[in-house]
Amino acid sequence: MIVLAIDTAGTGCSAALYDSNRDIVLGAAGEDIGRGHAERLMEFVDGALAAAGLDLPAIDRIAVTIGPGSFTGIRVGVAAARGLALALGIPAVGVSTLSALAAGRNGPLLVAIDAKRDEVYWQAFAADGSEATSPAIATVEEARAIAQAHDGDIAGSASALLREGAAVETDGVDIATVARIGTHLDPQKHLPKPLYLRGPDAKPQAGFAIRRA
Amino acid sequence: MSSQLTILGIETSCDETAAAVVLRDASGKGEILGEVVLSQLEEHSAYGGVVPEIAARAHVEALDSLISEALLRAGKSLADVDAIAATSGPGLIGGLIVGLMTGKAIARATGKPLYAVNHLEGHALTARLTDGLSFPYLMLLVSGGHTQLVLIRGVDDYERWGTTIDDALGEAFDKTAKLLGLPYPGGPAVERMAKKGNPERFTFPRPLVGEARLDFSFSGLKTAVRQAAQSIEPVTEQDIADICASFQRAVSRTLKDRIGRGLERFRALYPDVAMPALVVAGGVAANAELRATLQALCDKNRFHFIAPPLALCTDNAAMIAWAGLERMAAGFAPDDLAVAPRSRWPLDKQAATLLGSGKRGAKA
Repeated sequence: MIVLAIDTAGTGCSAALYDSNRDIVLGAAGEDIGRGHAERLMEFVDGALAAAGLDLPAIDRIAVTIGPGSFTGIRVGVAAARGLALALGIPAVGVSTLSALAAGRNGPLLVAIDAKRDEVYWQAFAADGSEATSPAIATVEEARAIAQAHDGDIAGSASALLREGAAVETDGVDIATVARIGTHLDPQKHLPKPLYLRGPDAKPQAGFAIRRA
Repeated sequence: MSSQLTILGIETSCDETAAAVVLRDASGKGEILGEVVLSQLEEHSAYGGVVPEIAARAHVEALDSLISEALLRAGKSLADVDAIAATSGPGLIGGLIVGLMTGKAIARATGKPLYAVNHLEGHALTARLTDGLSFPYLMLLVSGGHTQLVLIRGVDDYERWGTTIDDALGEAFDKTAKLLGLPYPGGPAVERMAKKGNPERFTFPRPLVGEARLDFSFSGLKTAVRQAAQSIEPVTEQDIADICASFQRAVSRTLKDRIGRGLERFRALYPDVAMPALVVAGGVAANAELRATLQALCDKNRFHFIAPPLALCTDNAAMIAWAGLERMAAGFAPDDLAVAPRSRWPLDKQAATLLGSGKRGAKA
């Protein structure tokens, strides 16, 4: 199967063509751009296709990172993936950034992403790489307690925040990993829906209306 | 360029997710082949206004299936359309990103051109889709986000004659409703109460009335409404009805003055246009008293008053598809797939900034 992988969930913006039969990346393009994913993504999709010597009709499936990460970035990738899937008549699957960060690491593993505002996105993985908990958000304090009770490695940008002496890591996911994970996901169960883990931060309006008789 | 064209339109700039397939025949006549609008009213009502992050989340979940539905209703496939048109501004950036990225992806996958459409241009050209109106004409856009009087000279040829220097008119309705404890959206709620009220009980200010320039201001009106309500607190049901009626009357008189001047200016500029037209657009156009005021004003000044069906006055994708068709037919180049969404994007490139400034420039 030829998979087009897209990642826009963090500061990076990238795309890759992956051949699952041979387990090789046929072509990739991307940069750590910080902002402006909406402007640059199609250029990287074109770059990956050119490097692979393929065009879109050759693709069997799209895999896109769905977060947790930048809300805006996630929507750039998810909207593009769903638009491509609709127009090409092929399935698209969503890959969580937590599982992409966990892939290829020795378990048991705790993946923790710095969610800013004193919070952490986290998920635990068992020794065999399977999900031990669901993706969740916790305060740094709660996450420290979880990390303390965890017997194994910690991965992700919050690792140094949760455990003293842990290596400083970024949240950049490996685009080939996204493609590889996406190959094995069931499109019926892993729809390309954003995984925010945090609410929209809106409060119902306060009652400052005028007093009624 | 006069061949028949079909475009898929996408609109996600505020709280409506919409898709439409529109045809423009060789004579320039338009036909909506299929359209669908999903309103997010429910999602936002508890907040008394549109919450940008909630809106963006809803757009990304719904848009692809709405596009499929619009194509289905039109009996078309993507292979049948000649181009994709997506709103790329002005509006809420989170929603614009969803619509524009979906449009870019479909354009890339189908090899069709992409037109990144200005939402205001969609409103500006709607009367040509519904009524086959010829240039030039005047458009009054009154919605929750905009209050503008614009001279429409041609495709991509607009002159903004007036805009609000603070709140949009729809916003004034929403804020009045919120203050009085009426439900969101405020327009229909205020109008409903106003029917039972005395419009002469309170005298609310009519800012800028009498001034030669055609701009609007509604924030003072909002303050006056609050002060009036506070002065008689606690308010009865009848008090609320009277405030709503008086508020609507003040708005009506303001529009009458401002638009009246606009019609005179148009007449002086185009003495040869026998029966000029004023087109109204935006959700506030649903208000019966304001419509009646504008109708009477137009009758008096011998202007056609054109109010497209409400579904095409409020946000929709047919108008975006149509604007794309007009651009395509007029020979405008499509947009590059690197085109950026723009939260601010004035229709009139020469217009001075009256609202919103800083590095992103004028709001609209």
